Amino acid sequence: MAVLLSLSIYPLIYSVTISLQEETSSGIEWGLGNFARLASDNFFWTAMAHTFVYAAAALTLEFLLGLALALLLNRQMRGRGLFRASLLVPMMLPTVVVGVVWRLMLNPNFGAINGTLKQFGIDTESLTWTASPRLAMLSVIAVDVWQWTPFVFLVLLAGLQAIPQEPYEAALIDGSSRWQTFRHVTLPLLKPAILIVLLLRTMDLLRVFDQIFILTEGGPGFATETISLYIYRTAFRFFDFGYAAAMSFVLLALTNVISVIYIRFLSHR
Amino acid sequence: MTQIKNRFTFVRILCLFVALVGALAPVYWMLTISLKTEVEQFASPPPWFIFTPTLEHYYDAFVSRGFGQYLLTSAIVAVTSTACALIIGTLAAYALARFELPWQLHKHLSLWILSTRMFPAIVTAVPLFLMMRDLRLLNTRASLIIVYTAFNLPFVIWMMRGFFADLPRDLEEAALVDGDSRIGALVRVVLPLVAPGLAATAVFCLIVSWNEFLFALVLTQTDASMTLPVGIAGRVTQYEIKWGVMSAAASVAIVPILVFALALQRYLVRGLSMGAVKG
Repeated sequence: MAVLLSLSIYPLIYSVTISLQEETSSGIEWGLGNFARLASDNFFWTAMAHTFVYAAAALTLEFLLGLALALLLNRQMRGRGLFRASLLVPMMLPTVVVGVVWRLMLNPNFGAINGTLKQFGIDTESLTWTASPRLAMLSVIAVDVWQWTPFVFLVLLAGLQAIPQEPYEAALIDGSSRWQTFRHVTLPLLKPAILIVLLLRTMDLLRVFDQIFILTEGGPGFATETISLYIYRTAFRFFDFGYAAAMSFVLLALTNVISVIYIRFLSHR
Repeated sequence: MTQIKNRFTFVRILCLFVALVGALAPVYWMLTISLKTEVEQFASPPPWFIFTPTLEHYYDAFVSRGFGQYLLTSAIVAVTSTACALIIGTLAAYALARFELPWQLHKHLSLWILSTRMFPAIVTAVPLFLMMRDLRLLNTRASLIIVYTAFNLPFVIWMMRGFFADLPRDLEEAALVDGDSRIGALVRVVLPLVAPGLAATAVFCLIVSWNEFLFALVLTQTDASMTLPVGIAGRVTQYEIKWGVMSAAASVAIVPILVFALALQRYLVRGLSMGAVKG
């Protein structure tokens, strides 16, 4: 048993120690030089800001849309299995394929979005989506919302269906309005599911890499460069592993703090 | 009252419809691109339904270019790493479900497992790259198999422990009394009972390994070792993009995923939320 367990933990611990060594031994020097460099690296902070804008915007949209859909569809109906299966499609796709799909959709020359808009007589000249610094961030956020809203929806729907009928009946007898019922009955009982889904989505969003890599490669310019992309570029384009590792530790610390906060909330429900 | 109710139903159906079209239309669009001739790909307005289908891009991608090779690599890596993770993980999970761990380790286990799910992949990509370079395993399938096994393992343990815990102990104890060994009881009595859960877990690992991109991108750069996602990505970021070939390859990449997803949609929410929600 211990052997099995250590076998599974081993790669993780080993990789952590290796990266610790890497991070301190920047070339010849041992020390915190890499971390000091972080403070004055504008690219790093810009990438950090992009990551937060991206995560906050996508999380908000996904949550609101997912919750609305879940509340709207929380009842027995025909064809539900089919509906659920179809909604699963976007989130099961390889992220690379998601990138390809949306490169095709958003392509200014032959993409379906601009093509369709044109049919309705809308001028699409300026709508170059991923190629425009202004719209690129919007595009990558929209793509994540497309892919992951179904997940939020399905988890929240499962949460809603686990709520028993009695509190609702009690609320009805007490004459509470729809909004009051939602605010004081549904939301508190749904809180565990909400926290779980927010936690998982936040962590995924903060480390986003694949879709943006395919869609824009962080561009145009630096417009959609998130922290993961910047680390990747530092390590595998400029081969500055020490600095990349230092940045990964900042990212790791950050995600840890955030997840601990979430888990606190979760266990104090 | 009925009128309000009817209107509400109408709104619901409308939402359903919009959500369905929204979810599926982009994927359908890619499928059409993969089947259109180059002239029709660039046609304006874009033909959604009526075009002359052709399979030339599929032929081009998988016969003339290297995508057949990538497909094979993807399949080998996904299947092998899933098998490894399942064997090790099931044994560990069974032990966890049936025996007490010292120092209340099992309480920390859930946190550890959740943390691997949330770990930013890029954080481990750098040390893993260096490790694999030192081991001379860069650009090999073995490197990916090792990495994917390690990353699927906590998930397997977690899921399987839940399934084992749901089983009453009496069954195996009966087998033990009858003189069977622990392993014998596990293989002959317990495993058949958790087979659906095992299958669901396996499919999950397959999907994760099949879809994985970042590690594959970092660890494999040669044609012989590249997985399908890396192969596709390499073509996307080139300057002149063969859209038909790309969409053909991407369409093939989603076929196994679609089959799997349909086969186990009942378990999907549970798996994706690490067992937190039993959907």
